[in-house]
Amino acid sequence: MASTESKSSLIMPGEETSTCWSCGTMRAVHFCSACGKVQPPVPVDYFAFFGFPKKLNLDTAALQKEFYALSRRLHPDMSAQADGQEREWSLEQSSLLNDAYRTLKDPIKRTQYLLRLEGVELEEQSKQATDKARASGELKKQVVPPDLLEEMFELNIQLEELRAQKNLGEDDPALLEEIGKAKLSLEQNHDALLAELKSDWSRWDKAIDKVDDQERLKIRDHMVDVLNRRNYVRNLVRDVNEAMESRP
Amino acid sequence: MSYSDKVIDHYNHPRNVGSMDKSSADVGTGLVGAPECGDVMKLQIKVNPETSVIEDAKFKTFGCGSAIASSSLATEWVKGKTIDEALAIKNTEIVKELALPPVKIHCSVLAEDAIRAAIGDWKKKQEATKPVAVQAAH
Repeated sequence: MASTESKSSLIMPGEETSTCWSCGTMRAVHFCSACGKVQPPVPVDYFAFFGFPKKLNLDTAALQKEFYALSRRLHPDMSAQADGQEREWSLEQSSLLNDAYRTLKDPIKRTQYLLRLEGVELEEQSKQATDKARASGELKKQVVPPDLLEEMFELNIQLEELRAQKNLGEDDPALLEEIGKAKLSLEQNHDALLAELKSDWSRWDKAIDKVDDQERLKIRDHMVDVLNRRNYVRNLVRDVNEAMESRP
Repeated sequence: MSYSDKVIDHYNHPRNVGSMDKSSADVGTGLVGAPECGDVMKLQIKVNPETSVIEDAKFKTFGCGSAIASSSLATEWVKGKTIDEALAIKNTEIVKELALPPVKIHCSVLAEDAIRAAIGDWKKKQEATKPVAVQAAH
């Protein structure tokens, strides 16, 4: 059994007033560090759940360690002797723990989650921009750059052709070669975007350290842009792979 | 989630699929995309320069059934309308007509964006080809 002095029993900022429902004296987040009882879940973000700062370069080894330690102690079986209420909290905390871990361990999901915390609502913002364009008569700025859209469109046409040929049992080596080239360029594009995103993570973390709100917003918007493009490129690579693999 | 009958109808029998000459002066092209789902939508209009009436519209969309239905419906709706009338089309009207569920509202937004982008492209061409006429009117 892990020591009760694990990092997860630390008190979170803003929670200094919460006391253990059972022994009433200790302050706790997941469980009481005095009597060990599971505490009712409090609405915290996933970073705070693990006691991490809202930074993007995350120590995944520490995250994993913390996850296992918490899993053992929050698991509903651990409170099998407990009353119904504590067991319920235990279940809720465990499912929160799993969601938080799954989200934070994946760097892309972690970034997307952080952006949501930072008020980025892609769909809602796109809808608002359209409403604004309708009202003002100005053109809406598209989130995906036109040249990338053009490339996507062309490649989609080629993929459609490839599928049609496949259905007829035909094979066009020239088309395959072209699609293969496009795929390679997409993969390079994808890698470049990932590198860009990684440098954003470090810039973000620095901005958090320096409490530079202006810089933070700038990087936030840049990450949204990079993620949007990456989404597109990734989906297309997937489509290309599917179209190529399903060939007879 | 299941598609409405109207979405299925447009999906199975899309209206006005095709393309027009992008470089033609009376053709406006709108190419838009939704990164959330990876959809790409191209909508083209052919406008009568005298009357500003949209005489023809074509589309080609790579995306889900709702995106295809939204753009198919958009081409149906803009045909015969003036530029100004077409600019008044709201995505919420597409949502209503196709009974799109909340998770597919972005498809209707994309279709409205495509109409606007196509009209914007046409207007830009008009301005570029008619600088002399505009000045002469002053």
